[in-house]
Amino acid sequence: MQPQVLQRFLTATGNTLLLTLLSMPLAVCLGLALALMRSSRHRWLSWPASVYIEVVRGTPLLVQLYLVYFSLAQLGVHWGTDLLTFDAFYVGVACLAGNYAAYEAEIHRAGLQAIDKGQREAALSIGMSERQSFFRVVLPQAFRIVIPPVINDLIAMLKDSCLVSVIGVQELLTVAQSVGKSRAAVAEMLVVAAIFYLALSLPCYYLGKYIENRLKARGMPELHLDNVHGH
Amino acid sequence: MIMTESKPKKNEAAVAATDQILVAQGIKKSFGPKQVLKGVDLAVNKAEVLVILGPNGCGKSTFLRCLNLLEQYQEGRVLLKGQVVSEGRPENHVPTRAEQQQAQYLRRHVGMVFQRFNLFPHWSVIENVMSGPRYVLNKPLEECRAIAEETLKHVGLWEKHPCDPLTLSGGQQQRVAIARSLAMSPDVMLFDEATSALDPVLTKEVLRVIRDLAAEGMTMLLVTHDMDFARDIADRVIFMEGGYIAAQGTPEYIFDERPVPGIQRFLEKG
Repeated sequence: MQPQVLQRFLTATGNTLLLTLLSMPLAVCLGLALALMRSSRHRWLSWPASVYIEVVRGTPLLVQLYLVYFSLAQLGVHWGTDLLTFDAFYVGVACLAGNYAAYEAEIHRAGLQAIDKGQREAALSIGMSERQSFFRVVLPQAFRIVIPPVINDLIAMLKDSCLVSVIGVQELLTVAQSVGKSRAAVAEMLVVAAIFYLALSLPCYYLGKYIENRLKARGMPELHLDNVHGH
Repeated sequence: MIMTESKPKKNEAAVAATDQILVAQGIKKSFGPKQVLKGVDLAVNKAEVLVILGPNGCGKSTFLRCLNLLEQYQEGRVLLKGQVVSEGRPENHVPTRAEQQQAQYLRRHVGMVFQRFNLFPHWSVIENVMSGPRYVLNKPLEECRAIAEETLKHVGLWEKHPCDPLTLSGGQQQRVAIARSLAMSPDVMLFDEATSALDPVLTKEVLRVIRDLAAEGMTMLLVTHDMDFARDIADRVIFMEGGYIAAQGTPEYIFDERPVPGIQRFLEKG
């Protein structure tokens, strides 16, 4: 591979990584907020969260990307403002984060439900407030057991990030197609892109396995998420 | 299990003090349509060891949980050192901030030990014991450590202080749970079937700690199915049946005279 082609691939890999590393923490935080809202006894909190989660999980990420990038900009033109036109990269981050947040919310909810209610009671029984028992006792434990499924989603997001190529973000797939077309070697460049994706996702996979095994060895409960994952 | 040791000897000052420290008045508690507690009155004196006995489902654990406000009861009230700390509320009542603070105040003074230990698995043994002084009493770290060291030594587990609590035996975990409660210097300790999840050998080591606490004058309420231990350690035995206190008195009165037919049935089954 020529150095300038390799350079383009490396830059694209950096963008793919950046997209994922910005989107995933946002998705995890937003997902936690959604999970807490959905578990709330106040309907004004639980209802919007439920609607968001079902709508986002019920529509393809690709459609969401088109809607946010093209339809919002078009609406802006209609209203005579460019405030609804955003940079493709940020739209990519927002859509990936927003989409995955709906799945992370269900993972967090399952994680919080997996913590024995005796933990909360033990925290309260020594005089902790509800807030302290949640943030100091329940949440840290729930967070540990959701790490393996969150890492699975990180790998899924890494691969799904190629969808943002449709709005022109220069990530791995965009560059593979572009270089492939210019050199009449699309198939070969797609193989190269696949190798790069694999090189990024395999370490995450093994990290996830390692953490999962460690948690199992410590007797932490496992999450059963058959009805949560839809990626 | 047969306890052969004699009743723990209390220090004189503790025995002399008979002021009521925890009082429950007319506690009624329902789970939906089912009324579990039908008006329970109880006064616990300082340094007294009360054992609550009764058949399954009679409401003994629920009563203990109501005393610590882990269950909201519907009628009655609880007084701590003469001060009303909680009152009956509807079943689905959402506590106000003031009520939550009152509940925290109560729990700081009334420790509870659970059947299933409920240690915090993401913290080491010493961190578990330090958690109350550190996060509830906001004491400096060094002081928390000193308190944890003292209480862990008290239950004979100081050498386990850096360990992951899940690596300990059931008996050791329960002793850490006792230490975690003791670290708050409670006025009263509640034990909800603290040895039910343990085999006889592990039970013995936990009972030894409870006996030591009794000897030191700790006020305690214990729910247990261990008749020999109850007879041995209790100053007063409460027999509950059908959501009421059916009888109460000295261990001799309850176990030997069996004042109500329910005790006879219960002891024969046990």
